[in-house]
Amino acid sequence: MNDDYAIETEGLTKVYWTAFRRREIRAVDALSLRVQRGATFGLLGPNGAGKTTFIKMLLSAARPTAGSARIFGRPCLQPEARRSVGYLPENHRFPTYQTGAGMLDCYAALSGVTGLERRKRIPELLELVGLKEWGDVRLGKYSKGMLQRVGLAQALIHRPQLLMLDEPSDGVDPVGRIRIREILQNLERQGVTIFINSHLLGEVELFCRDVAILHKGRLALTGAVKDLTSGQGYELSAKSVPESLQAELLKSAISSPAPANGTFKVRFDTREAANQAIDQLRLAHCEIESLAANTSTLEAVFLATVEGRNGKAAKP
Amino acid sequence: MKTNAAVTVALVKDTFREALARKVFWGFYGLSTLCILFFLFILKIDLVAGAMATVSLFGKTTDQGIDPAELVRVVCGGIAVFLYTWGLALAVFASGSLVPSLLEPGRIELLLSKPLSRTHLLLGRYLGILLVVAANIVWLVVGLWVILGIKTGIWDPAFLVACASALFIFAVMLGLITLLGVLWESAALSVMVPVALMLLSPILAQEKTAARLLSSEWSRQLYRGIYHVLPKVYDLGHMTLQFVRRQPAPEGAWLAVASTALFGCVMLAGGLWVFSRRDF
Repeated sequence: MNDDYAIETEGLTKVYWTAFRRREIRAVDALSLRVQRGATFGLLGPNGAGKTTFIKMLLSAARPTAGSARIFGRPCLQPEARRSVGYLPENHRFPTYQTGAGMLDCYAALSGVTGLERRKRIPELLELVGLKEWGDVRLGKYSKGMLQRVGLAQALIHRPQLLMLDEPSDGVDPVGRIRIREILQNLERQGVTIFINSHLLGEVELFCRDVAILHKGRLALTGAVKDLTSGQGYELSAKSVPESLQAELLKSAISSPAPANGTFKVRFDTREAANQAIDQLRLAHCEIESLAANTSTLEAVFLATVEGRNGKAAKP
Repeated sequence: MKTNAAVTVALVKDTFREALARKVFWGFYGLSTLCILFFLFILKIDLVAGAMATVSLFGKTTDQGIDPAELVRVVCGGIAVFLYTWGLALAVFASGSLVPSLLEPGRIELLLSKPLSRTHLLLGRYLGILLVVAANIVWLVVGLWVILGIKTGIWDPAFLVACASALFIFAVMLGLITLLGVLWESAALSVMVPVALMLLSPILAQEKTAARLLSSEWSRQLYRGIYHVLPKVYDLGHMTLQFVRRQPAPEGAWLAVASTALFGCVMLAGGLWVFSRRDF
């Protein structure tokens, strides 16, 4: 039992069968994944990649066909393993007959929070998610964004050590998104492991330090966002570069993007080559606009992984 | 242990909230209250020296005196029959959707992510529904018992047995509703099958007549098999009526109770087993 990992799966597989067992569908296929305690982890993948099935298996809503999954070292099928988990499902359906406070009270009791603690936590959390005035209003009157925020409060009510959020900012306005991000950043500082399943790559890139990309039920790529999005080499921009010098610089460059507004851009794969080019440009009295390390975006990495487009190679 | 009890209370409270949010349950309670009000205000009984002189209903008075004990037995028997027919049907109708609603996508995943076993979750819902219906039955039966007791001075505890027996047969039917709910997540089916069994029960109870009418031995055996396997709603209703009227229980009554209880247990255990293995 290793509780250094918040989530640890080994060969986790889920097979669904079509009617009369005519054809098998491998929703998740031999997935082995480790999420360190205290990490901020993003799970990405196109529709049907197996992300939700993976989460359902972790939370025992679906039984694995093969393999194992552990949460803080405990087999995920044990109810006790879920005591430290806070979960916000994607298409949640909170009971509309409950008020916001009533719903929080119910789910807190199911999570083992004592009555005394519930009375203290519920107003705190409603205030945290900006719904202080809405606690006594039935959930049927809440907007999509408000339901999402009260859902986040529900996931936090028992002070979980692992927070699993499925599309947490779905339907939330930009101000609400920033607020949610602030709450999550604060939880990260407290050492809570945050596991996000989201289609919003920009948000994941902004918040998560590690990601995994699932594709057709398999783990296509995993690693630190910083490493995955860092490009190789440097890009140099300069103005008033004579054509003869441009030709000279291109000999040692790896590529040259199309010039824009009279700016000559050139890419080098090593720092030495970039420095040499700067020396040549300074000698020719050219104006250097910028020098930056090449970077990629998570979106480019994602597309390269699932569609094989130009970018970083997909490596599990 | 304390946490488990708190979880059970939370599940029961949630079921009460959901039930009361549905108008059908208010109708159910409203009907019981109307029945109580009827006996409270409409039925007027005059007693002279411990014997009933007259009974007034809607202002019309009976010509001759009635034995108060007999009147109480007749009224209680009538209510017991009402509970067995309309009461049970209404309870099944009102609660048929409460198991499928628990399994709605987006709700069940969240419930299953909590640190409680699936058995605990489903039994909590079962208990919640049972208590919602029990509250209504107790309200009706005890309310009428008190009113009749005050008006006639006769406090016959036999009538209170109607509470237990009505709740028992509902608990059996709820076992079936639970199994159907987790199998097909259909409120309509969860209502239709128990109601069909209730309608079938008086026919199956005519065992001797059926034995005469059926020509072959295998068909008689099949009839008996079906009769013994299915819940004996009619037999239990008859038995309760006999008990309330202080008449001897019919032959084989306790066997009917035992086999009906077994049916309920098997259905509930089946529901728990299916629920424990299902993917959501």
